[in-house]
Amino acid sequence: MTAPPAPGDRAALFQCMVLMRRFEEEVLRVARDHPYVGRQHLHIGHEATGAGVVSALSPDDLFHTNHRNHGYLIARGADPGRALAEIMGRKDGLNGGRGGPWHLCDRSAGFQSTSAMVGGSVGLAVGAGFGLKTQGSKAISVTHFGDGTLDEGICYEALNLASLLALPVLFLCENNAKEGQRPSSMLAAKVLHDVPDALQIRSLVVDGPDADAVAAPAAYEDDHIRDGSGPVFLQADLERWPGSHQTKPEFPTGVTDLTLAWEEDRIQGPHAEWVRDHDGLRAYAKKLVADGTLSEDQVLEIDRDVLAGIEEARAFAEASPYPDPSGLLDNVFA
Amino acid sequence: MTRKTYAEALIDALVEFAGEEKKFAIIGRGILGHGAQAHLVEPLMEKFGDRVTDPPTSEGAVASLGIGAAMAGTRIFAHFGTASFTMEAVNQIIHEAGVAHSMSGGQIKVPIVFHMFHGLRRGGSGQHSLSPQSMFANNPGLHLMMPTTPGDVKGMLRTALKSDTPTLFIDHAALLGTEGEVPDGPFEIPLGEAAIRREGDDVTIVATSRAVHWAEAAADQLAGDGIDAEVVDPRSVVPLDTETILKSIRKTGRLVCVEEGYQMCSIGSEIAALAAEQVFKSLKAPVARVARPPAPVPFSPPLEEAMMPGPGKIVAAVKAVMA
Repeated sequence: MTAPPAPGDRAALFQCMVLMRRFEEEVLRVARDHPYVGRQHLHIGHEATGAGVVSALSPDDLFHTNHRNHGYLIARGADPGRALAEIMGRKDGLNGGRGGPWHLCDRSAGFQSTSAMVGGSVGLAVGAGFGLKTQGSKAISVTHFGDGTLDEGICYEALNLASLLALPVLFLCENNAKEGQRPSSMLAAKVLHDVPDALQIRSLVVDGPDADAVAAPAAYEDDHIRDGSGPVFLQADLERWPGSHQTKPEFPTGVTDLTLAWEEDRIQGPHAEWVRDHDGLRAYAKKLVADGTLSEDQVLEIDRDVLAGIEEARAFAEASPYPDPSGLLDNVFA
Repeated sequence: MTRKTYAEALIDALVEFAGEEKKFAIIGRGILGHGAQAHLVEPLMEKFGDRVTDPPTSEGAVASLGIGAAMAGTRIFAHFGTASFTMEAVNQIIHEAGVAHSMSGGQIKVPIVFHMFHGLRRGGSGQHSLSPQSMFANNPGLHLMMPTTPGDVKGMLRTALKSDTPTLFIDHAALLGTEGEVPDGPFEIPLGEAAIRREGDDVTIVATSRAVHWAEAAADQLAGDGIDAEVVDPRSVVPLDTETILKSIRKTGRLVCVEEGYQMCSIGSEIAALAAEQVFKSLKAPVARVARPPAPVPFSPPLEEAMMPGPGKIVAAVKAVMA
């Protein structure tokens, strides 16, 4: 278990992003190497947004993730071995094999139920904000979702309710709608934040691959949410990873090579543009080296440490047996 | 014991619970509907009006509001009005509340009560008359309680409010004005404990909610014809007190199931199946079910009346299995 990056610790923020990336790459390998029934919804390309928000928030804040959840779980300290075991349906998985890749849950890391009903977590996050408010807590409720989620009716009801009741909720919209391809959202509103704006919810737009920008509490007006002034809708604009919409495991952009952060001439292939211009992880490595926060060697050392941890996680997950069917009815009722 | 209406007993349970549990909130204002008993909600509003949130017409979000808050540790009583409206929230009830505890490997608890009024209510027509109990009972992870008397509603609601399992608490508006003896102070009626409303040796009538009163009226009538009917009220459908039900069938050898829902895949279908599986050799006659005819509920009063599985239909069904 790795603690989430402390606010302002940029090296730790970078390490967290590397962990998120390497974990998802391992999920792809697991899916390739094992007979596998699940489907992967990977968070690759969203690390700067996910880790940035995680680093800026308090450990008491409650997170509501969706089917693209893995990165958030391990960024907030969920054990990568148990997370991978869950993705493989094993006994030692975070959910005891009951959730699988769409529903990773770790209550000790501040996660509530992880819903894969599109828009489900948006509604639950509003509920958690209501619960926290009734308890007089200073914690806030957070939900992340893709732009496509705004196609669902529950989002409009939930945003309306959050605004009416001035609930402490951060709506983090990972907007990777791509013009020219089939869009992930099909909205009559061409500007996403027109939706929260119409419901009197404060909205902000941030450059999703810019980890420093996302990690600044000012990016989502932390004080506004925490002092009871109501929810905030943070639209993080991202360029969709070419492997994002897939049902079969593949590495369209290749396994991440962090030396490309400073050897840009070597960026090649059909998705070179995404790697060069839109990969927040590569951009952050480049930035931290350029401003002297980390040396090239330190970047690669961080990567090696993370990879060693991922190797342990995989070994742990593969060693874990499948759950015994005799426990099928465990926890149906609380 | 004090003689009270069902509506007063229901509010008593909420007032008592709110007085002892600070992490408790109520979503929805018209808890007692819009009928003659609506004003009886006042004692709750006077003492704990600050705990009551008046939401927009937004059942899916109301369910999410309650479920998310319950996951975060606040106990919730969420009122949906007519049970038909829960169809706007069925995704949240089944796919969020119902699965969360199991799907999280036991990490997440959802202490919420979904309160609603089911059934024929005079003029409800095809979209305000739903009895969704068997639809909900078909899904795992949700308790389902259907009280019948003022005493029961108070004790059962307290059990539901204290439970860490999400509970569908399905009332009938026609019961709100009924009177009965209600124990003073807090008490709980355990889940899965049926009540024998009337003892008898000739036939077992299993009925739920308002249909229990119809079954009792039918039993009175049958007594005049020399037929001694036993009326069993399961009170909670999930979990179901199969032991009490099967014991009664073993004694009488005959079973008639009565409910306001439709017959296809009904509570009666389940009980009939249990009887066939477990006490088949005790049965002296085929099982009968009395339920709604399979048509959308019509508006016109005589047509709506014809939908009701009332005493007359129950008497006829019992006589058929006694023949």
